[in-house]
Amino acid sequence: MKNRLDAFSIIVAVANVAVMVELFRRRKVRERFALLWIVVGLGGVILAVARPLLDDLSHELGIVNGTSFLFLLALLFLMFVCVALSLQVSRLAERTEILAEEIALMRAPTDEANASR
Amino acid sequence: MTVPRLLVLIPCLNEEEAVGAVIQRATAVLDATVLVIDDGSTDGTARVARENGAEVVRLPFNLGVGAAIRTGLRYAWQNGYDHVIQIDGDGQHDADEARKLLAAVTAGDVDLVVGSRFGSSYRVGRLRRLCMRYLARVTTKRLRTPITDATSGFRAFGPRAVALFSRSYPSDYLSDTVEALLLAADAGLRVVEVPTLMHPRQGGVPSANAWRSAFHLARLMLVISLHRFRRPLTPRSPDR
Repeated sequence: MKNRLDAFSIIVAVANVAVMVELFRRRKVRERFALLWIVVGLGGVILAVARPLLDDLSHELGIVNGTSFLFLLALLFLMFVCVALSLQVSRLAERTEILAEEIALMRAPTDEANASR
Repeated sequence: MTVPRLLVLIPCLNEEEAVGAVIQRATAVLDATVLVIDDGSTDGTARVARENGAEVVRLPFNLGVGAAIRTGLRYAWQNGYDHVIQIDGDGQHDADEARKLLAAVTAGDVDLVVGSRFGSSYRVGRLRRLCMRYLARVTTKRLRTPITDATSGFRAFGPRAVALFSRSYPSDYLSDTVEALLLAADAGLRVVEVPTLMHPRQGGVPSANAWRSAFHLARLMLVISLHRFRRPLTPRSPDR
């Protein structure tokens, strides 16, 4: 039963990495995000292959259940990703505003010329 | 035969102290139009550049060196310049040395010339040297021509290189130099490296920060190792 579980987690982790590599190969995702997810995926593979590692680590930290430790890690990481994406979105929004302003200013002379025609 | 039209391309970020002298040197030594790409500077870079007789293209916000170069190469292509020399705005690159690069491209058997900083006493830290050696080895292998300074931003582009890179050019930090060499090799461009003399920078601050460099080096290693399996960059439609 336990072996089947191990096999399942390894397959999921490897599939995760494979999907990201393929997206990277097709240039569908910016390299920085591909790098992030591939590193995370590899971390997942390591944890899936070396399960005692997780238990030892959580034991060291005083966490009884290795699984809870894994959930904690996942939660923290997802929070980190959300914050990082918020920053990216904020930056993009600001740039879009600047671009719209620039275009409006560039368009002003032609608009005027068309109006007075 | 027509005289090749030459554009000197200077990507700049906050270089008001140094860029004036760089433009003056370039116009004194080369028969060329000087184009400054102001990559979202917050100082008087654009004004100083204009006062010194350069054409100026201002980007609305900082996009990074790669995007600035891409902008400049598109400008070159749209305006019929068939040769481009890329020079740093901080005065590190010598205009006399630029003639060496240009000579190699106008001779007609090379499409892209890289000016190596190791021609002079270019000193770098040990870690940085190690990284540069690694990148040099990779690019030498792929290009089948000796490259010692893959990240040098002192370059000359011939007509084929201008045509290719005006349509697609990698914009991330380090990719604009190293990945561009791999793309040149893919497109069958002939690349050669020439040793050049360098000056210490005349002003401004270096843009690299240790963490950022480490991150981009990791990203670059991913790019290099999977490069041959990747789809080619989607080119824009030709503007001309």
